[in-house]
Amino acid sequence: MKPIISLNNVNKEFKLVKRHEGLKGSIHDLFTREYNIIQAVNNISIQVMPGEIVGYLGPNGAGKSTTIKMMTGVLEPTSGEVLVDNIIPYKNRTLHAQKIGVVFGQRTQLWWSLPLIESFKILKDIYQISNATYQDMMKFYESIVDIEPLYHKPVRQMSLGQRTLSDILAAFLHNPKVVFLDEPTIGLDVSMKSKIHDLINAVNREKETTVILTTHDISDVDALCKRIVIIDKGKMIYDEGIDSLKKHFGAYRTIKVKFEGDNNLRLELNRQVVKKLQEFISDKVTIEEDWISILTNEKDKSAMDILNYLQTIHSINDMQILDISTESVIKKIYEEDID
Amino acid sequence: MNLRKYLVLTRAGIVEKLYYKASLYINLLGNVIFLIIAYYLWKAIYLSSGTTVIKGLSFEDTMIYVVLAVAMYNFMEVFLVWEIGRNIQSGKIILDIIKPIKFPLYMFFQTSGEVVSNFVAAFIPTVIIVSVITHGRIEFGLHILFFLISMVLGVLINYNINFFIGTVCLYTESIWGINIMKNVIVSLLSGVTIPLTFFPDSLYKIISLLPFQAICNIPLNILIGETEGIYAILVKIAFQFLWFLITMFFSSWFWNKSIKVITVNGG
Repeated sequence: MKPIISLNNVNKEFKLVKRHEGLKGSIHDLFTREYNIIQAVNNISIQVMPGEIVGYLGPNGAGKSTTIKMMTGVLEPTSGEVLVDNIIPYKNRTLHAQKIGVVFGQRTQLWWSLPLIESFKILKDIYQISNATYQDMMKFYESIVDIEPLYHKPVRQMSLGQRTLSDILAAFLHNPKVVFLDEPTIGLDVSMKSKIHDLINAVNREKETTVILTTHDISDVDALCKRIVIIDKGKMIYDEGIDSLKKHFGAYRTIKVKFEGDNNLRLELNRQVVKKLQEFISDKVTIEEDWISILTNEKDKSAMDILNYLQTIHSINDMQILDISTESVIKKIYEEDID
Repeated sequence: MNLRKYLVLTRAGIVEKLYYKASLYINLLGNVIFLIIAYYLWKAIYLSSGTTVIKGLSFEDTMIYVVLAVAMYNFMEVFLVWEIGRNIQSGKIILDIIKPIKFPLYMFFQTSGEVVSNFVAAFIPTVIIVSVITHGRIEFGLHILFFLISMVLGVLINYNINFFIGTVCLYTESIWGINIMKNVIVSLLSGVTIPLTFFPDSLYKIISLLPFQAICNIPLNILIGETEGIYAILVKIAFQFLWFLITMFFSSWFWNKSIKVITVNGG
């Protein structure tokens, strides 16, 4: 099978006008122009297969949105090749637009003062969706989410959640091959998030739509993505299935221990233990109220060894062993830039 | 070309416009106030000039011209520069660019609904009222047809100029000053503020070659019968058509060039 999205050695540089500080600097800027070249995306290559849901992650300012904008055809790459369904997006914007759907969280493509159903009808005509396809899609939507009550509500009267949901429905309406979701669940409550997860999963399964999702919300990743790509400072630092992500860091475990005794004794003990542990465990040892939390790599020091050692100091009242969460794995990747 | 794809945007614009009833009424009220001011202003000018006819125009001629020019410019002006500029600042422009309609066309039809509803709701009633008050100074004949053609060309030229200025916002990232400057130039040189015949002859010759007078002055003169005879009318319309082509060429050329350097804000 051929990849539907193919990025090969893509670079994007921005030329930003250099601004000087203060009044003197501002006057200076009136007469001269100096530029800073910013490398927003640095030699990125990604292949995405049809029907995949790929989580595209990275800290703020990593270059995620810039990549998305190149894939949607808004921006032209400085060098390298971007192909989406055999089309170079920026060269064929209009044709390309027919094949993709886009949601930028916080911005809406819907008609602000019109009822939702009017927006859908406008999009139906703009994208030249046939009546049959349109009816099909609406029925499909109605079977997944409770959208009917929103049909006659003007978009400006909707809550953020309702609007985002509507925007996502609008993006999938013309049955595009690829949908780009840029932080779609930003600012939404838990129940709306899970509704949106169900919706995306259902459309992906049913229509085999490829989805590229950028997010800072790990619940999105856990619910939707089987593969994640992480970039930082414009460079790709990770591209693998989510399973191997956990395998990669599966050796890491968090041990939580609570010692016997009253609060004062515990406080004293905890302080001593943390000091001692830090000598031979390089990873994090922290105190969380009554508990000591120890993050350890099993390859270096097994959880059992640590527990045994702790027992020799004082008897243990309660303990927990936790596998590392996706969130802390990703946090570790951001912090360490691991290849 | 599937026209439905475009006209659905016009329809949406009309519905959206009707949705904001209050703004429609306030607009009407604003026009009335402006016309009262214009009436007394021109009355004072005629009184102080000592003659009843200035440059071949009587007070009544001038009033008819000014009233219709204002009504006409009001229905054409759709704040496109604001719209584009704001969309650039908020970053919403991305969503407009990635529609399966070319952006200049998309924006044209987005704003066309407002033009149509303003035309029907404000301009037509004004023409009828003027016609009734002046006891048939506006005749309804074949030239109305030419007027409509000329008016559409005027709308298109105005759109192209606005679109060009809107594109400038991609570079400046500020809107206000540019928009004010554009408004002053257009309303002065298109004949909205004062009838163009009042300009000194040499200046008038230059102005009549520019595209601005093709927005308002030409269609208006056809409507009020100032431009007489099929031949004269056709020459004017050909002149407009030429400017339509030129402005369209430059605005789409500039847009295509600019979109390459675009950096969309935020997110």
